[in-house]
Amino acid sequence: MESKPTLEDLIGIEYAKLGFFREVQEKIAELHASNLELARRQREIQAILNGITDVMAVVSMDLQVVSVNHVLRDVFGEAEPEGKRCYQVFRQVSQPCTDCPVITAIETNHVCRRLCIFPVAGKNRHFEITASPLLNCDGDVCNVLVLKRDVTLEKEYQAKYYMAEKMATVGVLAAGVAHEINNPLTAISGFAEGLKRRLPKLKDRAAPDVFQDFNEYIGIILKECERCQEIVQTLLTFGRHKSSEFTPVNLNTLVIDTFKLLRHHLKLFPEHVLTMELNESLPLIYGDASQLKQVILNLILNALDAVRAKGAVAIRTSPLNDIWVGLAVEDTGCGIHNQHIDKLFEPFFTTKPVGKGIGVGLSTCYNIVQSHGGEIVVSSEEGQGSLFLVKLPRKGGPW
Amino acid sequence: MEVSKFAIPEIIFGRGSLQYAALCARRLGAEKVLLVSDSGLEKAGWVQRITEILVEEKLSWVYYSDVESNPRDHQIQKGAKFYREQEADVILAIGGGSPMDAAKGIAVVASNGGRIQDYEGANRIHHPLPPMVAIPSTSGSGSDITQFAIITDVERRVKMTIASRTLVPNISIIDPLILLTKTPELIVAAALDALSHAVESYVSKISSPFTEMQSLKAIQLIMQNLTAAVESRSIENLEQLSIASTAAGMAFSNAGLGAEHALAHSLGGMFDTLHGLVHPVLLPSTMRYNLPACTEKTAEIGRILLGKKLRSARSTALAGIEHLEEYCVSFGVPLKLRDIVPDCTKLPELCQMAINDVCLLTNPRPATWEDLLQLCEEAW
Repeated sequence: MESKPTLEDLIGIEYAKLGFFREVQEKIAELHASNLELARRQREIQAILNGITDVMAVVSMDLQVVSVNHVLRDVFGEAEPEGKRCYQVFRQVSQPCTDCPVITAIETNHVCRRLCIFPVAGKNRHFEITASPLLNCDGDVCNVLVLKRDVTLEKEYQAKYYMAEKMATVGVLAAGVAHEINNPLTAISGFAEGLKRRLPKLKDRAAPDVFQDFNEYIGIILKECERCQEIVQTLLTFGRHKSSEFTPVNLNTLVIDTFKLLRHHLKLFPEHVLTMELNESLPLIYGDASQLKQVILNLILNALDAVRAKGAVAIRTSPLNDIWVGLAVEDTGCGIHNQHIDKLFEPFFTTKPVGKGIGVGLSTCYNIVQSHGGEIVVSSEEGQGSLFLVKLPRKGGPW
Repeated sequence: MEVSKFAIPEIIFGRGSLQYAALCARRLGAEKVLLVSDSGLEKAGWVQRITEILVEEKLSWVYYSDVESNPRDHQIQKGAKFYREQEADVILAIGGGSPMDAAKGIAVVASNGGRIQDYEGANRIHHPLPPMVAIPSTSGSGSDITQFAIITDVERRVKMTIASRTLVPNISIIDPLILLTKTPELIVAAALDALSHAVESYVSKISSPFTEMQSLKAIQLIMQNLTAAVESRSIENLEQLSIASTAAGMAFSNAGLGAEHALAHSLGGMFDTLHGLVHPVLLPSTMRYNLPACTEKTAEIGRILLGKKLRSARSTALAGIEHLEEYCVSFGVPLKLRDIVPDCTKLPELCQMAINDVCLLTNPRPATWEDLLQLCEEAW
């Protein structure tokens, strides 16, 4: 015994029969505290989940969505995806997709990674999908955690990078070839000129019809040589990365200058086929005026080609934001075929008939705009028209 | 007057009140009752009767009967383990002091854990106990009413007193009909136990008007009914003894006992002496020892025992004590300590042990172990 009982202990005024009420109260307080703690942890975990910028969903064995993060709700526009099937939420179809990573993950009990392209809100998106099986305490798969990372932008950048590399290679190649062709061509045209000068001396010695043929053939040779030289010149321009001096330029002035160049060409088209909306408070940009004029000229000629006899072409300049200045060339012409959109800027890609162009116009534009730190964005619908938006960094911008 | 306290359980009293046992258990939240009793009650058919009542009330139950006179510590531990294993809730005890004290011990260990030794002393129980319903089968121990449980520590050979207000059962169901199956010897032993409770609590240092009236009423009822009850075993007399025992229980639960019970517990611990046999032997000697400290009160007891007052308080008191001895003789019980204790050489050890008993706290006259030894020698 620790201490001997006293008379007071026996009277026990401060001691009463112990009831469970106090224990219950203490238990309730304990539960309340642990409940608060659980709620706090729950919020913490939710905050972590919400911090994940990828689409996240927990999917049951029968492909029912169990829980999701807010990114999924935002991306797929589903307020309450819980309880629906994953294929309904992600692809709006009524059957499980073939080659479903979730099913593979369940079957193999391993993490399954896939790269998938499917439309979200009408636009094709690249998703890197990771499906990892979630195990219950017995070690059996009970759910699958699905993470979808939108890699559309990365894929675009990757494509642009390949494009740039290709352009550079083709550019060097083209310049080399052009240079090699230029020398024999100079010889051909020089000697053809020589033949032409000497032709009058033959006039009396040859039969008139032979003379006539010679005269005509030499004319053709010279004309074709001239065309070849033009092509070679274009190729040389295309391949050459002239480090020209950039000066502050006003896009509006460039558009007006280019328009003057085109006045003769425009006579072939209906009146007012070309309209201009030039923003008067357009910020200046840094650039090479003649190169940029070439870009504008190219885009307008393409647009005019697309509209032909009917339709209209609109040219607009506007400040896009604090960084970019935009030049938009929009036509209501034939539009661009879906398959062609990706290849537009590839060198020597053309839809024009042979002899009407060699397919370096837009790739030259691409090179010029890129050397200005800008980009060209195309949107087009077949039969409705196209919009080429040239974005150039404004003077004093980050470039 | 000192501040006092008077606490008792709910008491359901009357012939046939046993039938409410299951209802009471249910009211306390029972779904699976632990029934504690012993073989004597089984033989008398009361355990069977209780289980029938429980079944009628659609309560399930488990039965624990490993209880003997002076219940042992290991029986308590085993009972508590059984209680937990069986996931029982309310504890229902039917029997004399032993099954009821055992039930209390089981309740303590079941909800507070540890060993029953951990709770020896006063107010050492800190967690609520399972609800308890006690049904006394003797009119003596008062365990169905009191805040005490007496358990034997086998190793130390000590009867431990565990005192706590939380040991007061929730409900006491007192059915005098149960007494009809008792032998005259048991009736006498129980009644003399109750008488000693009444006497010791009356002269206790912490008696209060509320306990004193219970003590005196108990003495009066026992004197008026015991002889008749033994002879006729009529339900009327037995019922009065039940009332007496309950009244004495109310008194000593709140006022405590004295030197006589301190010695009785030591005897039980050392020699496993039957508790009921100790009182005719020790009570008169103890009253004589205490007389100087409580002459008036002993005289009041003497007045009831004798039915009259003598010239002085002291002479009334002494005459009363003598009368008590004669009264005990009339029942043919042993009157000398030598009749119930095998060996007088153990008496000093016995008295040294009794000094530590909680009961001695409330004895009206302070006592050393030598005083107690002298008391024992007088009774030898």
